[in-house]
Amino acid sequence: MPPEKSDLLQGTLDMLILKVVALGPIHGYGVSLRIRQISKEVLQVQQGSLYPALHRLEKRGWIEAEWGESEHGRQARFYKLSARGRKQLAAEEMNWRRLAEAVGLILETAR
Amino acid sequence: MPWWRSFFWKRSREPELDRELRFHIEELTEANLAAGMTPEEARRQAMLEFGGCEQIKEDLRDVHRVAILDRTLANLRAGFRFMRKSPSFSITVILTLALGIGANSAVFSAIDAILLRPLPFPDGDRLMRLAQSNRRIKDPESAVAPVRLEDWNRINSTFQAIAGYYTEDESESSGALPEKLTRALVTPRFLQVLGVSPVLGRDFAPDEERFGGTNAALISDRFWRRRFSADPNAVGKRLRYAGNPITIVGVMPASFLFPERGVDLWSAVPMDAPYGQSRESTWFRVIGRLKPGVTVGQARADLATVQAHLGREYPKTDANLDVSVQPLKETTVGGVRRSLWMLYGSVSLLLLIACTNIAALLLSRAAHRQHEIAIRFSLGASRREVVAQLLTEALLLAVTGAALGLLIAKGAAILFRSAGQYVPRVEEIGLDWRLGLYTLACAVTATLLFALVPAIRATRGGLAGSLAQASRTQVSARNPLQLVLVGVQVALAVTLLAGAGLLVRSFQALGRVAPGFEASHVLTFHVTGNYGETADMKSLTQRIQRTLDSLRSVPGVEATATAATLPGVPTQWGAELKVVEAAMDPSRKIMAESRFVSPGYFETLRIPLLAGQMCRETTGSFNIVVNRSFANTYFAQTSLVGRHLQMPTNGFLPPGEVRGVVGDAREMGINVAPVPTVYWCVSAPMPDPYYLVRTRADPMSMAQTIRRKMHETDPARSVFEIMPLEEQLDDAFAENRLLTVLLGFFALTAVSLASIGLYGMLSYFVSVRRRETGLRLALGALPAQILRHFLLQGLGVTLLGCIAGLGLAAALTRLLAGMLYGVSPSDATTLFGVILMVVALAAVASLVPAFRAARVQPMQVLREE
Repeated sequence: MPPEKSDLLQGTLDMLILKVVALGPIHGYGVSLRIRQISKEVLQVQQGSLYPALHRLEKRGWIEAEWGESEHGRQARFYKLSARGRKQLAAEEMNWRRLAEAVGLILETAR
Repeated sequence: MPWWRSFFWKRSREPELDRELRFHIEELTEANLAAGMTPEEARRQAMLEFGGCEQIKEDLRDVHRVAILDRTLANLRAGFRFMRKSPSFSITVILTLALGIGANSAVFSAIDAILLRPLPFPDGDRLMRLAQSNRRIKDPESAVAPVRLEDWNRINSTFQAIAGYYTEDESESSGALPEKLTRALVTPRFLQVLGVSPVLGRDFAPDEERFGGTNAALISDRFWRRRFSADPNAVGKRLRYAGNPITIVGVMPASFLFPERGVDLWSAVPMDAPYGQSRESTWFRVIGRLKPGVTVGQARADLATVQAHLGREYPKTDANLDVSVQPLKETTVGGVRRSLWMLYGSVSLLLLIACTNIAALLLSRAAHRQHEIAIRFSLGASRREVVAQLLTEALLLAVTGAALGLLIAKGAAILFRSAGQYVPRVEEIGLDWRLGLYTLACAVTATLLFALVPAIRATRGGLAGSLAQASRTQVSARNPLQLVLVGVQVALAVTLLAGAGLLVRSFQALGRVAPGFEASHVLTFHVTGNYGETADMKSLTQRIQRTLDSLRSVPGVEATATAATLPGVPTQWGAELKVVEAAMDPSRKIMAESRFVSPGYFETLRIPLLAGQMCRETTGSFNIVVNRSFANTYFAQTSLVGRHLQMPTNGFLPPGEVRGVVGDAREMGINVAPVPTVYWCVSAPMPDPYYLVRTRADPMSMAQTIRRKMHETDPARSVFEIMPLEEQLDDAFAENRLLTVLLGFFALTAVSLASIGLYGMLSYFVSVRRRETGLRLALGALPAQILRHFLLQGLGVTLLGCIAGLGLAAALTRLLAGMLYGVSPSDATTLFGVILMVVALAAVASLVPAFRAARVQPMQVLREE
């Protein structure tokens, strides 16, 4: 029985994608796989959210796409982080940490 | 990806999208296979896990689509908000653009209808005008004899058909009162050449085109509506034209206005008439339709061969003739081309000034908007987005202005049609989708012209720049761009003003000319007559002499005359003459203009007799008088009176005896110096010559009396085109006058715009530098110094603009050269006057803000800090 899956906040998904893409060029299938693996199956991204998010990020210029060959020799669309995306990721990570810290503080105190 | 690629979204991205999603499904399938599922199961599970592929694709499309749509909508919304928030600014911009774009579209509608579109006939570009010209006559084109026209049509190999026509004005007397109708007499093949057929009834039948056949007529739509209230049964009815019954066989379409607007009916000329067989007849103006694929050059070469052949066959009459072939459109509209492009040039300059003006306005407003722009930057908008928003706002203003401009253009089309009677094809001007597109293009171009630079400047430096540039600085940066923009406006205005000034001065010079005849108190008109009457010249002459006599008997009439042409209205009829008594001297050719006038002409126009006697009308031979130029040029030593002159190129004209010498008159146009001229004294040079009547009182006050008298004398004829000679002379310059008036109007608008621009720029400078000014005053500067500073800034930029404008004017007024009379394109007085006017206006425009600056209260400024 896998652990219960959590829904992701819209902004959070973008940040996670940026983070995963930051690890090196990766295709959409890879992103969904990686998020699942790293989160130990807690977070599962629906394809219906993943691809629009990828394209939105690309449109904003935070990630860039390029056709390449996958590990199985198929043509896949690989995404990699742009310079602007790197800045954005740093900003979002910082925001997230502060938010998580604040939420944590509240949860601690309210205990 | 550039933004515009979003519009091509589907084509470029759809397969990519498919491939990307397919890859995902294939990977899932692969994973499922690895987990030990059967291939079918693996694929099914993969599809299941992946979810609705189409749904995802649609979402993806939205990602790309929504962005641009959303942004445009948001920008538009912001644009409307902006318009509501600053109504006076928006109205100023909209009205300025409405005027600029409206004037531009109006002139373009004329250019499009008159110059750009083909003639309103099927394959109109294959229609040619053909003419014969005699190498020994200066008259560029003379009419063509019926037999020669038929020869051309028969022998040539490049035309589908060649046809001819001429017009005459006669009375139609089947109604209660005789009515003057204009009839075009046309050769067979006329409608075939033009490619038009009657909307009602039929073209001429062969029986109606031969001598002694049935008289038939096609009538114009206008006449059909006027006389028959558009009754379809009009076909088959009879008219009584020039005393002969004539049957209506068809009605032409309303758009068919060939050869001229006023034609009421068309009849066929019998080409086999015994009186029409002379090769020296001058009957027809000729048109032809080229075969498909034939060039004008080929047609010219072909007809040159044909005419050379005819020259060998009929050396006496055809050896000296050349045939000219020109596109019919060119001969129809060529005359107004320059004026139209000139107008277009000036309205484009005007639009450019308007754009410059608005650009300067936007630049000075950018200060107000810096805060807003800074906020947008800080909210994460990119520079491109902000520029796009600013441009959308501008485009909104421009499109609103352009819509108003279209209304102006529509109004102008009506104006054109009523004022421009002498402009060819003017009835084709109107509002259509081409004009709509053009106006929209104007709006977009104008937007880029006036909004791009201010938008780019306003967003320069992004967030940091716009926050730092807040208006808190003590001394504002110099703003050279605004100075340049105002300078450009002044330069363009000076150019327009110089052109208009030269035209006005040219008219002044024209007004000072002594034409050698007295045009005031002379009434001109026509009395209907037809070429059939020329079969009996004696009775035609008697008829016209009788008419002149009865006119002379009207109280208040001082003198009467007839003439084939009007004095001072441009006509050319130059030909070589020879003295019958002397051997032809090939080294001293006698070239002279010929005029055909009744003996009363000189008394009526008060052209003085200088030597010899006045001419008399004689039967059998001609009397001639010559003008002073003729006598001085060719017969300075010998006496001319009593000798006979002959026109060798005209077989119909017998020699005439020179009776006297009269003063020089500007026969060929008020703006053309008199040339050697020979007056042949004949009352009936044609069936409906011009009648000239010198009246004691205002000529138009006699119009009714004369009309009545003419009706008593000859009830079957009608009098038409009654107008004073002065008006006829004015009409000869109507095109130039209209051009002058319009150019003057544009120039004044341009100067006002430039002045407003200068005023706006200085006002802005003054307001931006209020603190600085206050400080300087507090530190001891005199108000006069402040005043001088701003005044000199305004005048300085004006002077630089004037210098640039003079350079531009020097280059552009050369285009006017052929239209000017008595003033050179670089006329110093005009240019000096223009500069004086512009500088005076600039001084006024600068003084107001300069005074405002000088009255700044230092204490108040310092307290505001």
